[in-house]
Amino acid sequence: MRQLTQEETKTLFSKIANYTGRSLNQLIEPVQDASGKPGERYVFRIQNSRVYYVKEAIANLATSIARPNLLSLGTCIGKFTKTGMFRIHITALDIIAPHARYKVWIRPNGEMPFLYGGHVVKAHVGRWSEDCPEHQGVVVYSMNDTPLGFGVTACSTAAARKLDPTGIVTFRQGDVGEYLREEDTLFAT
Amino acid sequence: MATSKSTSKASASKTAAGLGKPKSDKKTRAPKAKSEVKTHRISAKDKLKKKKRIYTAEELGVPKLNGIVPTGVQKLKGKKKGKVFVDDAESMLAILGMVQAEKEGEVEGKIMKARQLEEIREAKRVEAEKRVQSKKAVLEEAKGVLRQKKRTKRDKRDEKPTDDGKKESSHKKKRVSFG
Repeated sequence: MRQLTQEETKTLFSKIANYTGRSLNQLIEPVQDASGKPGERYVFRIQNSRVYYVKEAIANLATSIARPNLLSLGTCIGKFTKTGMFRIHITALDIIAPHARYKVWIRPNGEMPFLYGGHVVKAHVGRWSEDCPEHQGVVVYSMNDTPLGFGVTACSTAAARKLDPTGIVTFRQGDVGEYLREEDTLFAT
Repeated sequence: MATSKSTSKASASKTAAGLGKPKSDKKTRAPKAKSEVKTHRISAKDKLKKKKRIYTAEELGVPKLNGIVPTGVQKLKGKKKGKVFVDDAESMLAILGMVQAEKEGEVEGKIMKARQLEEIREAKRVEAEKRVQSKKAVLEEAKGVLRQKKRTKRDKRDEKPTDDGKKESSHKKKRVSFG
């Protein structure tokens, strides 16, 4: 387990910033608690090419565990590929969702197809953020504001209006169904 | 140089002390000259030695000839070996700010591009509509002209019999007379 290098930090942030807005700063800055005292600081740590978002105190404690023995800590955000790119995991949804910039809400009849790994079609969209460009990261919500996953828009909001009901609006990149489908590989290599 | 100075000082003091004895003065002068020569020789040797000093390419920082070093192997001078970690909030915020500005620009660019494309599409649509309208107008005009022609023809046909009323009256009014 070690800190991230400059390059890695940049790659990680540019990936997360696809889905989030300006409020991403709150991930790094120590959050103030109710009494106004600065709360605990969260840090990013890399272990076996996986990046974890973890409380600094826990990260410091984890240094006492040998690298081969340390399986996981904190929240896994994703992993670095061998080519140096970053692949975001569904486990990062809890971190991304509160800071999402563009959102797509899907109707109850579209939830199951999405959770089984399908893309979002226009007929299943309940509502979407206005002025969303194409190929932009979006967070997918159910109609009762439960984050279900994330993806990339296939076309801009204006273009999607002219689309037929079976046309794909958002390409799926991750959904909470992966917790079951990818159970074997999600937490261990 | 320091040695020659000291010797000259010593000789000066000696000459001042024994002015009445020229012989002894000669004696004292001879070694002084020798020593001067010696020191000169040494300094010359030193100079020669200094001139002979050869600088290595590393000392001068001259790039090596035929030295194409792969970038992975190349080691920069005075740079820390290994990875540079980022853990303090300030530098992380700086990186994040940079990344966010980049993304913001990208998104703005995309939105602007989409708007421009939409405008172009709208303009094209309006133009196409206009073209269709003008075509329709031309067609309508042609139709109108044809209709007008037909009407005038009919009117003419209608008007002809009215010109020579006798014939018309004879044709139209049939009279039946009963004996």
